[in-house]
Amino acid sequence: MKTLTELNLEAALAAHDPLARERAITTAYRAHENASPAVRELAVLAVQFPAILEPIEEGDLFAGRIRYPLVSFGPEPGGLGYACRAEAIRYVVAGRGLDQEACAEAEEMIAYWETRATAARTRAAYPPALAAALPSDDWTRESGAGFPLYRMAGTVLDYRKLLQLGLSGLDAEIALRAAGASSAQRDFLDGLRAALGLAAASLRHYAAQARSLAADCGDPSHVAGLSTIAADCDAVSQRAPATFREALQLAWIYALLSGTWNYGRVDDWLGSFLVADLDAGRLDEEQATQLLCGWWRLMKAYDNQFNNRVFIGGRGRVNEAVADRFAMLAMEATRRTRLNQPQLSLRFHADQNPALMARALDVIGEGCTFPILYNDDVNIPAVARAFGVPEDEAVHYTPYGCGEYVLANRSVGTPNGVVNLLKCLELALRDGHDPVARRQAGPRTDDSSFACFEELWRAYAAQLEHLIAALARQEKIAYDVTGREAPFLFLSVLYDDCIARAKPLFAGGVRHLGGTLETYGNINTADALFAIERIVFQERAATLSQLIAALDGDFSGPDGEALRQRLLAVPKYGNDDDAADAMARRVHDHVCILTREQAARVGLDSYLVVVINNSANTLFGHTTAASADGRRHGQPLANANNPAPGADRGGVTAFLNSLVKIDPGLHAGAVQNMKFSRALFTRHRTKLEALLAGYWAAGGAQAMISVVSRDDLESALREPEKWGHLLVRVGGFSVRFIDLPSDIQLEVLGRTLHE
Amino acid sequence: MNDITGIVFDIQRGALHDGPGVRTTVFLKGCPLRCAWCHNPESQTFEPETGRSGRIYGRALTVTEVMAVVRRDARFYAASGGGLTISGGEPTAQYDFCSALLAAAHGEGIHTCLDTCGALDWPRLDALCAHVDVFLYDYKATAAGTHRALTGIEPGLPHANLRRLLAAGATVRLRCPLIPDANAAPDHLDAIAALGRDYPAMAIDLMPYHEIGAGKYDDLGRPRPALETRVPAAGETAAWLDTLHSAGAAQAALG
Ligand code: SF4
Repeated sequence: MKTLTELNLEAALAAHDPLARERAITTAYRAHENASPAVRELAVLAVQFPAILEPIEEGDLFAGRIRYPLVSFGPEPGGLGYACRAEAIRYVVAGRGLDQEACAEAEEMIAYWETRATAARTRAAYPPALAAALPSDDWTRESGAGFPLYRMAGTVLDYRKLLQLGLSGLDAEIALRAAGASSAQRDFLDGLRAALGLAAASLRHYAAQARSLAADCGDPSHVAGLSTIAADCDAVSQRAPATFREALQLAWIYALLSGTWNYGRVDDWLGSFLVADLDAGRLDEEQATQLLCGWWRLMKAYDNQFNNRVFIGGRGRVNEAVADRFAMLAMEATRRTRLNQPQLSLRFHADQNPALMARALDVIGEGCTFPILYNDDVNIPAVARAFGVPEDEAVHYTPYGCGEYVLANRSVGTPNGVVNLLKCLELALRDGHDPVARRQAGPRTDDSSFACFEELWRAYAAQLEHLIAALARQEKIAYDVTGREAPFLFLSVLYDDCIARAKPLFAGGVRHLGGTLETYGNINTADALFAIERIVFQERAATLSQLIAALDGDFSGPDGEALRQRLLAVPKYGNDDDAADAMARRVHDHVCILTREQAARVGLDSYLVVVINNSANTLFGHTTAASADGRRHGQPLANANNPAPGADRGGVTAFLNSLVKIDPGLHAGAVQNMKFSRALFTRHRTKLEALLAGYWAAGGAQAMISVVSRDDLESALREPEKWGHLLVRVGGFSVRFIDLPSDIQLEVLGRTLHE
Repeated sequence: MNDITGIVFDIQRGALHDGPGVRTTVFLKGCPLRCAWCHNPESQTFEPETGRSGRIYGRALTVTEVMAVVRRDARFYAASGGGLTISGGEPTAQYDFCSALLAAAHGEGIHTCLDTCGALDWPRLDALCAHVDVFLYDYKATAAGTHRALTGIEPGLPHANLRRLLAAGATVRLRCPLIPDANAAPDHLDAIAALGRDYPAMAIDLMPYHEIGAGKYDDLGRPRPALETRVPAAGETAAWLDTLHSAGAAQAALG
């Protein structure tokens, strides 16, 4: 599985004329360096599109593939804004054996962007104290408590408007707005119109390509498909879409041009086109499902990792019954394609057609892991509270990427900072010293001889406050610099209220300028603090310095191991233990409120924590020393808001009860992973439904459910300490898999997991 | 009443196979039987024990303390028709505690199951009926000699109590461990079938023998029971089921 970044590099390596596109984009930027941001962006976009749109491949049902050159413009896929991937360029120079002249040219290009790339300009804008607080951007390799990220992630466009008006209708609306506008406003609005022209040109480019492919193709079945693509692209280059196919084609090309890769409430904006075609007999459900499968495959080719969120279901859709028909076919497409993309997600509420949830559980039960489930009855009021918006705005919440909420086409909320809470505790225990990096990394908070637990807590809080204040400033600076650099024309066209205000998205156009902060290690931190409180301050079974020595030594030696066992024996989050869970809540509330409070200080409409799933928990684990929850040096941090691996041994109901103790009204998204055996989806379906019903009713906001697989059992054989929660059925009994003797474990592994 | 103390060796929350719905199963320590296939040797003695591994089996809890745990999943019971299951060991061996726990659960409207082998005087079992919604009743062997050899007790009392419970209209789910070359003989299958015919509403779970491991015997420093058996092949299990179905016990199923 390759990421877009890796695929982009491959394409650059294989290019006919290596680095030609990079040079052309650089030349265009250079020629317009002092032009207005809109004019400069257009100049670059005109080089970029349709040049970087990849050819239609055999079997594609729609036109639309893309690879970013190593110098590019966009919000995120190729890097932030104007981006230059210096290391990758050098890799291509070496890999293709380019001559000295080409090499010098490449170095000159890299040097040019060193001060002009949007990420570089962002860092250059940090005041000295901020630069000192955030010394490194290399969060995947270096040890540190917090790092900035450079991107404008998670924009969700108004596709409904795109499809209703078409490119020409949008152009007319902007022209109308430009009539009475000031000259600065007109510069921006004219840019929007020119971008729409580029979109039309890109569609015509694909139409021509499809026609010429059809002409050269001997297979009549392919000819028909290519001719349809050509006709659809031609049609929507001129007018609003009239059919499902046309609508999907237009939306897809627009998404690629804009550099967004999360599509919001697709059933809401595409459902009416689908149902009109079905009702008129232009399509049947089977054909429509195949079209969706084709789209799913193109999404996978676009981003293979963390994006491609497609939402179905939930309150606030214009016509629920119509959208539900789309939703059912979308689930079928996911079931059939069995791809890791798109990240199909179902919002649901108490009054929703129950067929959607029933189908969702079928699809999950087949091992698809999708759809991911979101409970509107909890989330809408929670989002209203967290974002400080009324519920009729909150109803448009749309999780993107790894699960950060935005208000579709109303808010932006890019996560541009990552924090490792466990590292903050690590620093607090050592007066700000990082034992992995071996340097003073945080403020001096105490001499580490804490007389009581609250003193330790204050030192931890101080480490975090220092960091989060810095990251909030950084987020606002990133918006300001990006807003000055470029209007992001494709995004601004389809974002409230850019046209009405005649302002670019990141320069005053967006209705709600939010930001998010990714926090990791939340649960390890809570478990570690709770264990310290118990063992050091209550039971006094070890002194703080003994504990720190054991952590520094990674629990080596008999004393270290004995202390580790004591720490492990202290109750952990995830078992419905009120005291342990209260600490998790305290850690959560503290970091969430602290983060939220920064918004007003730095000038954002909201700045909120997200607690999400990706590989950051593993990467941060590598650079985090042993911790007082019993975790060893280098081990992954617990994922998102989930109990530490294997810590939840109290049974599934206890686990679910713990989850709902964390307040969803303080953050902008948290992920809960759950695994159930296959039998729960089939033979014991009513019990699964009851477990989930109990969870939702108690305030469960979200669930990412997967089926226990053979891989899981194999991992449990390798790392039993992480799989204490895994139950299997043997001989009419439920037993903990890790407690079985190894020959029986192998036997259980051998039979397919159908229970 | 609710400060009665019992010795509990495990509480499993979110149990999905111990009666209807989602349940909390409370395992009471102590058992008058010594079944040769017993998977829970730590459940047999009445006092808490410490294994060689340092693991502690059993702790004293009051009814109030147990109910504080049980109550936490009330919403899952309500959503699923689940509740409390008391298992063991032989839970009725801690009679007062067991009885008080059942009554306490019923007092809060929580559904109850009692997993028992029925080896207690009828009046005492009868008295529990008021607070037991479903009996999970172990039916271990038919012939007296086999029963004695495999469990250490005479079958008279458990067999008679089963018929008495059924006659009294109790809801019973029959749990039948089937051990090849031990109890899984034709006479035993016949007897199960007869019960099935007489009480068609009674569910019958067949639980084919499965080696779960003797690790706990070793940890407790107890000899592994001498049991000449094997894990039945899938075909053998299917044949038992067939036999019961064709003998008129249509409700028999794999547990
Ligand atoms: S009745 Fe149950 S607990 Fe008692 S010995 Fe037999 S199998 Fe073990």
